[in-house]
Amino acid sequence: MSVNAGFATASTDFLIAALLIYSLAVLAFAGDYAFGRPHRKETAKPAVPAVAQLATVGAGAAGAGSAAALAESGPVESGPADAGPAEPAPPASSGGGTGLAPARRVGAFRAIWAAGPWIRAAVGLSGLGILAHFVAIVCRGIAVDRAPWGDMYEFVTALTCVAAIFFGYIVVRYRAWALGVFVMGAVVVALGLAETLIYTAAGPLVPALQSYWLSIHVTAMTLSTGIFFVAAVLGILYLVSERYRKRVAAGKIQSGNGLIDRIPSAAQLDKLTYRTVVFGFPIWTFGVIAGAIWADQAWGRYWGWDPVETWAFITWVIYAAYLHARATAGWRGARAHYIQLLAFATLMVNIFVIQIFITGMHSYAGVN
Amino acid sequence: MTDVRTPQSPADTAPGGPAGESPAASAGWLRWAWRQLTSMRTALVLLFLLALGAIPGSLLPQQGTDPGSVDQYYVSHPDLAPWINRLGLFNVFAAPWFAAIYLLLFASLVGCVVPRTFRLVGSARTPPPRAPRNLARLPHSSSYSSALPPAAAVDNAAAVLGGQRFRLRRPAADEPGYWVSAEKGYLRECGNLLFHLSLLGVLLSIAAGGLFGYKADKLLVEGQTFANTVSALNEFHPGRLVSGDSLAPFTLTLNKFTASYVESGESAGQPSNFNANVTYAASSGATPRSYNIRINDPLAVDSLKVYLIGHGYAPEFKVTEANGTVAYEEATPFIPANTSSLLSDGVVKAPDASLGFEGVFVPTAIEVEGTLESIFPAANNPAVSLIGYSGNLGMNSGVSDQTVYQLDTNGLTEISGSPHLLSPGQSWKLPGDKGSIEFVGVKQWVSLAITYDPGQVPALVCGILALAGLLLSFFVRRRRVFVRAVPAASGTGSVVTVGGLTRSDASGGFEEEFADLAAQIAETEPDPGQPQEPIKPEPDHTPEPGSHSEPGA
Repeated sequence: MSVNAGFATASTDFLIAALLIYSLAVLAFAGDYAFGRPHRKETAKPAVPAVAQLATVGAGAAGAGSAAALAESGPVESGPADAGPAEPAPPASSGGGTGLAPARRVGAFRAIWAAGPWIRAAVGLSGLGILAHFVAIVCRGIAVDRAPWGDMYEFVTALTCVAAIFFGYIVVRYRAWALGVFVMGAVVVALGLAETLIYTAAGPLVPALQSYWLSIHVTAMTLSTGIFFVAAVLGILYLVSERYRKRVAAGKIQSGNGLIDRIPSAAQLDKLTYRTVVFGFPIWTFGVIAGAIWADQAWGRYWGWDPVETWAFITWVIYAAYLHARATAGWRGARAHYIQLLAFATLMVNIFVIQIFITGMHSYAGVN
Repeated sequence: MTDVRTPQSPADTAPGGPAGESPAASAGWLRWAWRQLTSMRTALVLLFLLALGAIPGSLLPQQGTDPGSVDQYYVSHPDLAPWINRLGLFNVFAAPWFAAIYLLLFASLVGCVVPRTFRLVGSARTPPPRAPRNLARLPHSSSYSSALPPAAAVDNAAAVLGGQRFRLRRPAADEPGYWVSAEKGYLRECGNLLFHLSLLGVLLSIAAGGLFGYKADKLLVEGQTFANTVSALNEFHPGRLVSGDSLAPFTLTLNKFTASYVESGESAGQPSNFNANVTYAASSGATPRSYNIRINDPLAVDSLKVYLIGHGYAPEFKVTEANGTVAYEEATPFIPANTSSLLSDGVVKAPDASLGFEGVFVPTAIEVEGTLESIFPAANNPAVSLIGYSGNLGMNSGVSDQTVYQLDTNGLTEISGSPHLLSPGQSWKLPGDKGSIEFVGVKQWVSLAITYDPGQVPALVCGILALAGLLLSFFVRRRRVFVRAVPAASGTGSVVTVGGLTRSDASGGFEEEFADLAAQIAETEPDPGQPQEPIKPEPDHTPEPGSHSEPGA
């Protein structure tokens, strides 16, 4: 039951290292915006209008030619050696959805390499940061000899690690490093706040938490919160991007905003957000069910409308509303994204308001 | 596309029935109301209301979980509290308006799910639609030249698709053209329906638990035994259809309760382990067994469970009258006033000796500026501080509504020398020859919750089914693939076009699947010498998969 002081210190050190490395990664992501090669707009322009594409395909014989044309019209990231189609060029103007064609995995690293020195550095630093972050969490776990997400500080530490890893997945699968400055920026802020505001020394758990359900329930909650975290950042980017698109369409502003042109199109962001939530929602559901089983063992009832349970339920209901809203005429687009952000807001309220200020059976935050 | 559609087309929203014909009109209005209720928009609004309605339940004290705080709220907000009560906000999750929200939501769900089930059955019986004329217009398409005649090329493609368990449709004898239609992924809609029906199951399970289950509390001091009857329980909350004499007949003795605490360091005083050693018998004739009830490790007796939910100290007192008669000798449960130091309050009532005492118990005593404090929750240096009262305690009058934890000091005289500090073994000889009180020693008590919930297992099963349904509906995609071949312009061979579309691709990945399929179909070409056209998956131009009801009801 005692705490291994050496590992506890190592954990703190690795976490600070991770924070520093992440900060550098964010700077590098930002540096790409400032100094990197402009790589989207010029190449996106020749995106063949849909009709023309269909015509070429319809001809059949010109298949090879049109494939080559598409590869060329793709972003520069897919180097000339990359024969296969990379991320499709964002649609020139159409508001209709465009697919997020996942890139071939083998090409991902080559593509990152081709994206220029800033992205190379940023992705490399992010990877290194994730490694340090992960080691920090493992050390904390060894120090306290249990799953290292028993108090609020540990929980935030773990969920930001999940968010960073999930972002890494998006980079590899969708080549969405343009989102790095936002996602990793949010990770740095959350981790920095955890480190300064709610730092809690390594310690043993109260009896109520001494259960293997801690690893199951809290792990699921941590995973899904990390994933929803990414979805929330994507949702905000969508809203910004969509507003910009509408204003350009209405002729209010000129297109050519360097920042917006570099992030994926609003339609792509919309799809990516949806897929992220679809990934997180079953894990959240599982976490709630696991929590109910644990509550039944620890407290004698599987559901008792404890404040934290109530808010987990609220979050679940609002994410469900988002999933439905996306399938309802008149609610798609910005409105659905506001719902998604509201759901994430309820999740944050649960963690930072309810668990800390409202007394209930989940009052384990360890924050004074 | 065809079958799955939320019932909210413009025609649905107009109340039907010709005006003037009263029965028809009212039927029209009913149908209109039902369609409104089962529309996705209404479901969304109800979802928001459900979330909104739950908020006060988390911010205001609730009768069900914490009645003490509700009473306190009445004291501190005397004007506001009655209004809150009238709105049912002290008992949100049992309030009629909250029930109205979720019952409407479930009605809406049923109204959406049942027709969809019929539609699913219908679409499972009908074969896939005919292949469209121009497959290149589909969201995904590719084509290649084949050396085979059109019929053979399509046969090969059909074999590939059939091998992957697609449902196939070929042209009827009198239909022109060479094509095959294939469809797969009916499990998606099954999962969707399973998810929603399982939610209904969860609700019914909870209702069953509320009707047939019960929950009881019992405070038990070390050495005490109790039998599971209504009169022996401190609190008994039966379900609506539970009668008091249907409780499981078990007996239970608390042998010893052990609590350990972190001794030093930053978290000193934090509990590290609780263990209640009990002996129990499932029925009067059964062999007694021993068990260690811990937090996270309840005792299961037949279908009920006994949980450790609280603990505290029960100092033992012995009150002796002046003539030597022992008027009171009991371990008296004190209630922790401070949950971390376990400083506890309690009262001792000896009505026969006309004596009453208010006490403060500290497990590890230390005096800070003249007041008694506890610095550690374990009973390392226990002490009690007593204020004595003499007079008629009024316990025999039968009108007293005071509990065992309260002493009504009205009409009582405070004994001089109060408060008086005692360590175990010490006595306080009361002035005026009123007798004496001895602090004999310290025992511990535990508070046990006894629950019986027949809805528990069904709720768990439904929860797992709901999760399974959710996964199916998210990660299975319903997709159609069409292959059409036309004779090549050159006269030999054919041009084969493969087209595909998916209605919803929540988790993504159809692009790759389509590319794979198209490649496999192209690989059926017999002649490797013939240069094959590369398969080119096109970017997905589907306008929003969401135009069809995606996640559900």
